[in-house]
Amino acid sequence: MNKFIYTLPALLLLTGCWDQTNLNETKLITAGGIDYTKKGKVTSTVSVPQAVAAEAGKGNIVNQVFAATGNTARQSRLRLDLKVAERLDASKNQVLVFGEETAKTDIYNLLDIFYRDPKSSLNAKLAVAKGKASDVISTTFEEPKKSTGVGEYLRDSIKSAEEGATVPAENIQTICPLMFDPGQDFALPYLESTGKAVKVIGVALFQEHQMVGSIKEPLSVIYTMLTGEPHTISMSTTKKISNNQKENLLNYVTIKVEKNKRKFDVYVSSRDKISAKIKLNVKIIITEYPPDNLSTPSEIKKIEKKISKKLTEDAQKVIDKLQKMNSDPFGVGRQLMAYHYPTWEKLNWKEEYPKIDFKASVDVEVIGHGIIE
Amino acid sequence: MNNHTITHRQLFFLIVQTQIGVGVLSLPYSLFVKAKIDGWISLLLAGVFVQFSILAMWKLCDRFPQNTLFDILPKIMGKHLGFIFKFIYTLHFSIVSALILILYNSIVGKWILFETPSWVIIFVMAFAGAYFISSTPREIARFFVLVTPLFFILFGLIIYAYTDVHFLYIFPIGQTGIMTIIKGSSDAVVALLGFDAALVFLAYTTGTPAKKLKVISFASFCVTVMYTFIVFTTYIFFNPMEIVIVPEPVLYMLKAFSFSIVERTDLIFLSLWIISVATSFISYLFVAAKGIQSILKLHHHQSAAVYIALFCALVAIIPNEKLEIVTWNKYISLVSILFSGISPIILLLISVLRKKQEKGATAT
Repeated sequence: MNKFIYTLPALLLLTGCWDQTNLNETKLITAGGIDYTKKGKVTSTVSVPQAVAAEAGKGNIVNQVFAATGNTARQSRLRLDLKVAERLDASKNQVLVFGEETAKTDIYNLLDIFYRDPKSSLNAKLAVAKGKASDVISTTFEEPKKSTGVGEYLRDSIKSAEEGATVPAENIQTICPLMFDPGQDFALPYLESTGKAVKVIGVALFQEHQMVGSIKEPLSVIYTMLTGEPHTISMSTTKKISNNQKENLLNYVTIKVEKNKRKFDVYVSSRDKISAKIKLNVKIIITEYPPDNLSTPSEIKKIEKKISKKLTEDAQKVIDKLQKMNSDPFGVGRQLMAYHYPTWEKLNWKEEYPKIDFKASVDVEVIGHGIIE
Repeated sequence: MNNHTITHRQLFFLIVQTQIGVGVLSLPYSLFVKAKIDGWISLLLAGVFVQFSILAMWKLCDRFPQNTLFDILPKIMGKHLGFIFKFIYTLHFSIVSALILILYNSIVGKWILFETPSWVIIFVMAFAGAYFISSTPREIARFFVLVTPLFFILFGLIIYAYTDVHFLYIFPIGQTGIMTIIKGSSDAVVALLGFDAALVFLAYTTGTPAKKLKVISFASFCVTVMYTFIVFTTYIFFNPMEIVIVPEPVLYMLKAFSFSIVERTDLIFLSLWIISVATSFISYLFVAAKGIQSILKLHHHQSAAVYIALFCALVAIIPNEKLEIVTWNKYISLVSILFSGISPIILLLISVLRKKQEKGATAT
């Protein structure tokens, strides 16, 4: 009996309702875009899907797009709230897009509110838009009826680009350690709005908190392979491996990477000269090769050699670009810090990185070619 | 008296559950502040230090079988001094209980219940504590054993973090130097506190002395290993520069993961973690209630349960700013190291020097 008395107050208190959030009093943001204005203020553009009653059995989703400007990201969000009848809630946000000009400034300052707010969704996808983020968010899509709004559409298209290895898989949280890391940078999907659709055109490279350049779409697959990503659902790319065919199409081969193994070494010579080498061992399946000539081992060896050569060239191209941009997404600096700490302490990595000797080589092994030879 | 005893296996769970508590969420952070990226080594070192306290504690209790700390104190220090120390110890254990409430409230208030008044959050836990300690040690131990499988879920959630880790962050090992690592281990000892509950619970434990020692020592070892695993995981998940701004790395790490059914993994973790907090709180509250019983010569500690819980809750309501909480945490932790880590050794020395021991202790 005595024990029972103790439980009574607890029962009364447990029914508390201070922290309830009613869905009918909130508007859920599914996609957000951040741009700087010319005067350095922050404009937030958000998309809120709203179900509109249509004919019976035909639910329809209408995207409402709101925008507001403030001195900081949070202020612009608060001003957005003033424009909307209900309370805006970003805890279900799927995608956050930065305008290109904005990405070229410090993006951490804008992300602060996402890291600070306990309710924010850290697994939202991040992307950089060519031009303005607001254009991407307010795109009226050709296929909106099936999807549930811009947020879901953008997330799915970024996801399918990740599956195709066109862009590396990142979200708000996964880039955070990299932003803080002096020895490693990152890349985000690079989007372009074409008015009626948004397409992924490659990756936007960052140095610390700022975007410094981009790698366009077919080459960005090689970029993703160089990050060491072992396998994605369809890591595919088409490469030109000869010049002498009459029909242009016959010069190409399309491969799908089944297994990608990276060997990544950073050396420091006795005179503190730094060199890095990435060696990829790739097992591929040929998914398109119109000349149809894969019956003998020697033929396969030949084509392996050609693809290896081509991929090595491309990999070197990617690395040269990265060094030119001074972006270190593979973490050469991190390796240096971990294994050659005294050297690392001595040097200014930002000045040193473009000058190091950084080589790549790709070794291809064909393990299949579909159901015909 | 018979249903007051616990087996040595139950003692194992009692110690583990008391040790794992409120500290686990912020441990990687507090270690990092002191020992940088080598914090996990400090933790292992602290685990070794703690074993010495445990050895002293066991030897002390072995000299006075079936006596709790509060029975032992007057026997080795004399009636009056013993009474004073009894009082100090009781106060200490109730303040530690209050500190658990304070930290629990600050994390729950910060992470889930933003609008709920803090006194509600504190009183819910305090009442649960009062309810639990009104039962016998055996019942408490049974509950602790019952909730132990929940650790496996916590463990599994943390393992999921290995989908996105950077092993290179841990290198070069030992870059901060041995002195810093040793200094950091004092903070690690605070996280491992909880074995001191054995000072009271050992009195109720059946089994041979050797078995008892093995059990406490192994419990502390398990907790050390689990903590090191957690700290290590957060250190390779977060960048060294990033941990400094993330006071609850374990939760923050889980916040980034989502599964198709569960979007906010951290909330699941937090709900299970509250049970861990409750077990630590119950243990300390029980010890404090035993102290009151001994001071006031009560027939049963049950009569003190409500008052001690109320006292802790009221104390816990006082600090309401983040910085106040940090200060409280700092001083109470320091005192805890003194009372729980070092004093068993001193008490043992006194009892050995004054040749105090219960008759027939050697025979058992």
